[in-house]
Amino acid sequence: MSELGPIDEYQDLFENAPCGYLTIGPDGRISKVNATLEAWTGFSADKLIGQRLHQFLNMAGRIYFETHIAPLLRMQGFFNEFALDFETAAGQRLPVIANAAERRNSDGTVLFTALVLIKATDRRRYERELINSRSELRKGLAIERETAELREQFIAVLGHDLRNPLAAISAGARILQRSGTLQDDKELRVLDMMNTTVTRMSGLIDNILDFARGRLGDGITLSRDANRPLQPVLEQVVDELRTASPDRSIETSFAIMEPVNCDRSRVGQLASNLIGNALTHGAAYQAVRVGAKTEDGVFELWVANAGEPIPAIAMGKLFEPFFRGDIRSSRQGLGLGLHIASQIAQAHGGRIDVTSTPDETRFVFRMPLQSN
Amino acid sequence: MDVLTRNNVRESGRGLRAIVFAHGFGCDQNMWRFVAPEFESDFKVILFDHVGAGGSDLSAYDKTKYSTLDGYADDLVEIGSELGLKDAVFVGHSVSSMIGILASLKAPELFGRLVLVGPSARYIDDGDYIGGFSAKQIAELLEFLEDNHMGWSAAMAPSIMGNPERPELAEELTNSFCRTDPEIAKAFARVTFTSDNRGDLSKVTIPTLILQCSEDIIASEEVGKFVHNSIPGSEIVFLKATGHCPNLSAPAEVVSAIKAYV
Repeated sequence: MSELGPIDEYQDLFENAPCGYLTIGPDGRISKVNATLEAWTGFSADKLIGQRLHQFLNMAGRIYFETHIAPLLRMQGFFNEFALDFETAAGQRLPVIANAAERRNSDGTVLFTALVLIKATDRRRYERELINSRSELRKGLAIERETAELREQFIAVLGHDLRNPLAAISAGARILQRSGTLQDDKELRVLDMMNTTVTRMSGLIDNILDFARGRLGDGITLSRDANRPLQPVLEQVVDELRTASPDRSIETSFAIMEPVNCDRSRVGQLASNLIGNALTHGAAYQAVRVGAKTEDGVFELWVANAGEPIPAIAMGKLFEPFFRGDIRSSRQGLGLGLHIASQIAQAHGGRIDVTSTPDETRFVFRMPLQSN
Repeated sequence: MDVLTRNNVRESGRGLRAIVFAHGFGCDQNMWRFVAPEFESDFKVILFDHVGAGGSDLSAYDKTKYSTLDGYADDLVEIGSELGLKDAVFVGHSVSSMIGILASLKAPELFGRLVLVGPSARYIDDGDYIGGFSAKQIAELLEFLEDNHMGWSAAMAPSIMGNPERPELAEELTNSFCRTDPEIAKAFARVTFTSDNRGDLSKVTIPTLILQCSEDIIASEEVGKFVHNSIPGSEIVFLKATGHCPNLSAPAEVVSAIKAYV
C-alpha cells in the first residue's frame, strides 16, 4: 500500500499525473495548473495563474482557440482531441493534444473549464509527415496528369497532321493508276502495295485519333442513322481489306433484314478493326469468315479465323489500349484496333465477346437495333 | 441552384423588418443561437451559412469564386434579392463584417443599418497600420489548421448535413457546428486573414455600429477604432465581453447593444 493517505494520493495524482491539468475560471483566466504542466512549460504556477491561456500558445493556436475551441466549448460544453502548440518559457514549441470540458452550476453558469493536455511531440511530427507526404503525392499526381494530358494532345495533333501527307500519297497513287503510264506487272504490284499501305495507315491514324479523343474526354461520338443501309458499308470495308491483302481469303455472309440504328461509318471501322485483327493473327492459309445478321431486336456482327487460340492470360487484356499479342507478324499495329472497336461497341450500347479454341477464334459484336 | 438551399438560409420571427445575422470564420450560424431568438418578436430573423460552412451545399464551393470576400458578398446579395430584402439590419461577426460592407456597396438598397461585431479591415500589419498579425503568423495558422481536422471525414460529411434529427448520427454531430472540410477551412482562413478592405470603409454611407470586445486578440481595440474612424458617421460601443465571440460568451450584452441601435 502507498504511504500516502487517500487525499494525498488524489493530490499527487493531480499534480504529477502523466498529463497536464489546467482549469480556466469563468473570467477566462487560468485558475489552476498541475506540476506536470509547470514542468513541461517551464512556467511556475504563479506565472500561469491569472493569465489568459492564449498568452502561452503560439499565434496559430490563439486564433484557433478563439475561432473554434471557445465557441464549441460554449455550444456543446466540451471539445475533445484538439491540437494546440504551447510556447515554453525557454521559447520551445510544446505540441499537445487536449480535451476540454466545461463544469456548470445547476443554474447553467460556468464554474470552470477543465483542460487535459497530453504531450504529442512524436504524434504531431508523424501526422505532419503524413500531411506532407500527401501534399507531395498530390503535387506529383498533378504533374503526372499534366504530362499525360500533354502527351495525349500530342498524339491527337500528330495523328491529325499525319493525315495530310498520307492523303497526298494516296492522291499521287490514284493519278498514277488513272494515267495508265504504269504497264509493267512489277510496277503495278508496287502501286497496289502503296494503296494497301495507305489504307492500313489511314486506319491506324483513325484509331490513334479516336483513342486520343477518347482520352481527352470527348469520347467516341456517334451520328446514328437507321434509315440508310449498313450492308454496303460492310461490303466496302471487306473489299478494301481484300485489296489490301490480295493473298488472303475473306468469306462473307450478310443477312441484315432490319434497319440498324447505328453510326454506319463507326460500325464499318469496328468491322475493319476486327477483320484486320483476324488477318494479322489468324492462320494465313485459311479464310477469315465475316457474318452479320439482325435477329430478335439485336444486330450481330461476327468475325472468325482459324489458327492458334488466344492464350488465356491474354484474353482479359485484349481490349486494353496498346495491348499486343506475341509478335508473330511484322504487320503488328499499335494495339489500338480492338480497344477502339470495343469503345465503338460501348458507344452503341453493345459489346464485343470473344471465344477462342484450337478450332476457331471468334469475335462477336452485338448491339440493340434501336437505341434507347 | 436554389440560393436558399445553397446557403442553408433559415427564416424565423414575426417582425416586418428583417435582420440578417452572418457568422465569421470558424463555425456556422449556430454562433448566433443565443442572440438571434431575442429578435424574433420584432424582426424577421434570417440566418445562413457561408458556402463551405455548416449546412451549406459543399458542391457549390468554387475555389475561384471564394478566393476573395467578394464571392461571399455576392452570395449575400443573392440571398437578399431572393428574400426581397430592403432596408434590413445586417449583423456580421468577424470577417462577415467586411462581407456585409461589400454586399452593401454592391446593393445599396439591401441594408439600412450595419452592425459589425469584432470587425477588422485588415489582419496583417502594414507599415504604420497595426492589424495584429504578421504574414508569417498567418502562414503558420494555415498550416496549423491541418493539425485540427475535428473528426472531419469526407465520407461522413454528407450524411450529417441536414440530418441533425437522426439519433444514430448524434455521435458524429460532435463538433459539427465548427467542422469544415479542411481544404475549405484553409481557403476561408486564407481569404479572411489576408483580406484588406481598408479602402472600402470610407465608401460606407449606411448608419453603422461597431461592437468592440475587450481583450480580443483577433480584432484588437486599435483595429476596431480604425474601422470606426474610417466609416463616416459610425458609432462604436465597447463591450465588457472578452474574447472574439461575444455572441456566445456575452449574448445579453450583444443583444442589448444591437437593440439600442436599431
